[in-house]
Amino acid sequence: MNAAQHILDALQRHQIDTVFGYPGGCIMPLYDALVAEDVGVEHVLCRHEQACALAADGYARASGRTGVCMATSGPGATNLITGVANAHRDSIPMLVITGQVPSGLIGTDAFQETDVLGMTLGIVKHSYLVTEAPEIPAILEEALQLAGSGRPGPVWIDIPKDILLTDIGEPKAPAPTTATPLPDPTAEIDEALAMLREANMPLLYSGGGVSLAHAESAFRRFAKASRLPNVVTLKGIGNPGYDNADQMGMLGLHGSKAANMAVDTCDLLLVVGARLDDRATGAVATFAPNAKVIHIDTDAAELGKLRATDLAIRGELRDILDSMADALIRQPLTIENWRQQCATWRKTQGFQTAINEDPHAPISGPEFMRQLTDIAPRDAIVACDVGQHQMWVAQYCRFDHPRNHLSSGGLGTMGFGLPAAIGAQFAFPDRPVINVTGDGSFMMNAQELATIRRHKLPIKLIIMDNQCLGMVRQQQELFYENRESQIDLDDNPDFLALARAFDIPTLAIQRTDQVRRGIQTILAYDGPMLLHVRIDRSENVWPIVKPGASNRDMLDESQRPTSTSAKNKESAA
Amino acid sequence: MTSSADHKTHTLSCRMRPEPAALERLCQVARIRGFRIEEMQVRTDADGLAIDMVLSGQRSIDTLRRQIEKLHTVCSLRGPEQALTGVRQSA
Ligand SMILES: Cc1ncc(C[n+]2csc(CCOP(=O)(O)OP(=O)(O)O)c2C)c(N)n1
Repeated sequence: MNAAQHILDALQRHQIDTVFGYPGGCIMPLYDALVAEDVGVEHVLCRHEQACALAADGYARASGRTGVCMATSGPGATNLITGVANAHRDSIPMLVITGQVPSGLIGTDAFQETDVLGMTLGIVKHSYLVTEAPEIPAILEEALQLAGSGRPGPVWIDIPKDILLTDIGEPKAPAPTTATPLPDPTAEIDEALAMLREANMPLLYSGGGVSLAHAESAFRRFAKASRLPNVVTLKGIGNPGYDNADQMGMLGLHGSKAANMAVDTCDLLLVVGARLDDRATGAVATFAPNAKVIHIDTDAAELGKLRATDLAIRGELRDILDSMADALIRQPLTIENWRQQCATWRKTQGFQTAINEDPHAPISGPEFMRQLTDIAPRDAIVACDVGQHQMWVAQYCRFDHPRNHLSSGGLGTMGFGLPAAIGAQFAFPDRPVINVTGDGSFMMNAQELATIRRHKLPIKLIIMDNQCLGMVRQQQELFYENRESQIDLDDNPDFLALARAFDIPTLAIQRTDQVRRGIQTILAYDGPMLLHVRIDRSENVWPIVKPGASNRDMLDESQRPTSTSAKNKESAA
Repeated sequence: MTSSADHKTHTLSCRMRPEPAALERLCQVARIRGFRIEEMQVRTDADGLAIDMVLSGQRSIDTLRRQIEKLHTVCSLRGPEQALTGVRQSA
């Protein structure tokens, strides 16, 4: 059995049923191994390697399992890079396999040779350039273990073509790899509980680490037991679930005023699985100025990185949250006044859309998302792109689970949504998958309509078309004195004709009274469908924090300098 | 980097498995996380690579330590023995 066959064998042993890839010269031995009849791995041919990596990311994000992508050397590998960086920044478990020029040709500027190992060091959790064929099984075992354990991330294996072809005998049961156990945090947990009991205004702040650590149930149990008012980061959306009565929504740059006010006021911030990223904290020097900070994370390097902690707890989120929940069930916190205060903020300073009574009014982004979330089934997976539409999803769609909301957080990769939706649909063939995109982002991976068509994926595509790069336009308006520069997309292609070229039926809407039926129609359709939503070019995402400013100084629509569209006013204040 | 006045120098000793990109990984983490490598000594012995470094920077060396420890090829890390505070030794 050659090394390429061993790779497929290892994937199957790890119950990896789907890989996203694109063939080429140096990885042909692996593609040749895929031809065998008994291969239990489905290969999905995306139409650009970036989409392969982003689809693997979407697969992993939605399912919690490791996503796998593969490509050839040189341009295949460089095309993967954006997708792998995306996974790295959001700690998504991923295995990346690339072919490399034959061992003897490395370093000779051979055809399609690039120093993949060198150019990807900063975007991987770990990587390998395989030099000895017999090491392949052990490397795969270790790579898969690393990708999915601790703080997950992409692991890249670069394999010269001659090594893929080398016969290395029959597979043996690999030596089990064991992760080093984390320190026992019992003493810190007791201290955290004491701090919680002492605080008058404690706030729970959670991020993407909760689902990455598979701690969703423990988190909910803790949130319920503590009854702590809580805020989430972009990646933490869905952590508290539909039914948590104490949630204040997303904090930060485009968070709710309610969430940012709670952070600004609290006297104890309990950070769980979040890294206090600048989009969430605003100016970190004035972030949560009155609060002691307890920071719980698996990754020691995040503790105290950006904000000094009063108590840092490194460990398994699940165990920590479970034992804290046990203690709080035995003896609940007494924070009724603070909870009331937060509930009032939520009512008066939360995200609200104003229903526009005029049926002919243009569609407002927030109102569209509110209706989408009302109509879509609870188990729907929404994959966003990047821009204003992404923020409207984050602000106005409700999610019962963090894995139902796929959003490129750390890297903010336009073009993420469509391939991520494809990956998610492969992970969950029977669940509704919706891609909410912008007219700019959609064009970054529009070739993936071909993948939808080939596999008859019933993905619903929603293009929020404002004929411009809306998020950039908004920032030019607010922070560059309205000098618009290179944001116009008023010569967009005919998106409906484009979709039809891939046998995807379409529907176009532009008035408020068409929203409900539009959403119902595409969701009811048995197959892929594209909904084209024409929206006002001048609509902004509110509220917003000026770059470098404190979250407490959020701007809302009433502070808009060039108030052009008063018609769609939503009171995001 | 801003004024050298608030730079501190630190020494770290690190053992790594001798994989091809080991040194690049180490240097890259130091650079990206805001440190400058002032001195570096590398030996290879039966246990792999032994590296002694003098680093300078304004950020927390404890955070850098934890960031270096995350490298899969790092087996152990010692230091810092803070060498000099306030000014940088070399330009
Ligand atoms: C690959 C990439 N290039 C550039 C950017 C910078 N950027 C952020 S949002 C945005 C505009 C997105 O436009 P669109 O997809 O139409 O969404 P809208 O903001 O209009 O909803 C741009 C260019 C990015 N995030 N990703």
